[in-house]
Amino acid sequence: MEGQGLGLDLPTFIGQLVNFLILLAVLTIFGFKPIRKILDERANRIKESMELAEATKKEYEHAQAEVQKRIQEAQKQGEALLTEARSIGERLKEEAKAGARREAQAIIEKAQADLKRDQDKMIDHLRREFAGIAILAAEKVIHETLDKQKHLRIIEETIRESALGKKVN
Amino acid sequence: MDNQEEKTSGSNLKKIAIAVGIILLLLTLISFVGSNVGAMIFKTKALSVFAVGKPHVVLPAEMPFHGVHLSNTMLTSFITILILMLLFISAARKIKLVPSGLQNFVEFFYESLANFIEDTAGTEYGRKFFPVCATIFLFVLFNGWLSLIPGFETIKFNGEPLLRNPNTDINVPMMLAVISFCFVEYWGFKAHGLNYLKKFINVGALIQGFKEMFAGQVKTGLNNMIMGLVSFFTGILEILSEFIRLISFTFRLFGNMTAGMILVMVAIFLVPWVLPSVFYAMEAFFGFIQALIFSGLTLCFLVLAIMSHEEEAH
Repeated sequence: MEGQGLGLDLPTFIGQLVNFLILLAVLTIFGFKPIRKILDERANRIKESMELAEATKKEYEHAQAEVQKRIQEAQKQGEALLTEARSIGERLKEEAKAGARREAQAIIEKAQADLKRDQDKMIDHLRREFAGIAILAAEKVIHETLDKQKHLRIIEETIRESALGKKVN
Repeated sequence: MDNQEEKTSGSNLKKIAIAVGIILLLLTLISFVGSNVGAMIFKTKALSVFAVGKPHVVLPAEMPFHGVHLSNTMLTSFITILILMLLFISAARKIKLVPSGLQNFVEFFYESLANFIEDTAGTEYGRKFFPVCATIFLFVLFNGWLSLIPGFETIKFNGEPLLRNPNTDINVPMMLAVISFCFVEYWGFKAHGLNYLKKFINVGALIQGFKEMFAGQVKTGLNNMIMGLVSFFTGILEILSEFIRLISFTFRLFGNMTAGMILVMVAIFLVPWVLPSVFYAMEAFFGFIQALIFSGLTLCFLVLAIMSHEEEAH
């Protein structure tokens, strides 16, 4: 046979074919498939974690910006509040000052008015008292002729009657 | 000072290299003089250490077991298959997301091969072609490299070598060629259905031409008939090339591997020491290259088969 020189041999050929097919099947099922799976899984995992990291970073940046914005807002608000409070305080102080001044003024005025009234009353009283005494003294002078001693006594009597006598009463 | 040290260490290295070179050269010469060939030239008696038997080339695989139809190449391919299975199963058995040790190595192997295949055939088809291409690659590679283990072909049983590179047995390359051929045709039909046959039996234009001839359009009909004849013959050439692939696949691997085997044999016979190492290194390289060529060509033919004919025509 022609093939004999080369060593062509059908049983060996078929045997090798079976060998190869078994190798192919075993490697595919027990070798290539699990490895492919794990490689894909790893690639996926890496991709996922990278995406996650990217997302986290973005989120963080977003949060950072948000915080910054909030802080600025709060600062602005605080400043506004402070200015307002200061102005309110100023106003209150002014008001308080004005009120106190007004009150003091009122008290002084009232005190003055009272004083004046008392004074008037006193003067009035004195005047009346004095007029009475004078009248009394005049009556006595008119009623009696007087010598010097009598005169003095009369005056004294009159005074006693008017002021002291009343007090005794 | 560092510079000086470097210089001295450099010159030391140089000295060592020269010494090793001289020793190797001496060993080469001694082994040559002491070998059978040297004895013939110098008319001395060959030293038994260097007296290697005259190489005799046997193309058919030897059958070391009398009465049992089991060739030494078959035995070796059992070993190859066993090694490959053990390698992949043990790597994939305790497979983890974070690889370590053997899994790392096998994954590296897998990924390099997968990248090569997917670059050529695209990811979708690459994954489908991978098992066959990779198994062919691994089988051819390990067959070739296994036979480079020292002492591999010198273990004798019943006067015949017990083990022999399966790639040097014509049945193995032919088997691989048939596998490759069948796989290619399978994918051709799978991708195009019966249209795949149009690549080989192309009579559409010819019939069109006949029709036009009978309809009276002589000029266009004649034109189409000529074009039809051309495409018909192209189809026949395609059929031929499909089968020629089988032969070229077979004999490329068989020829290269057998030539390598003979080369090493002759080198050992002529100069038993040192020189064969060079050929061993070359064989290691050729074993890899042949494995790559076999699987790479299978891949190319697969890609050609799944490509649409229109695309191919451009």
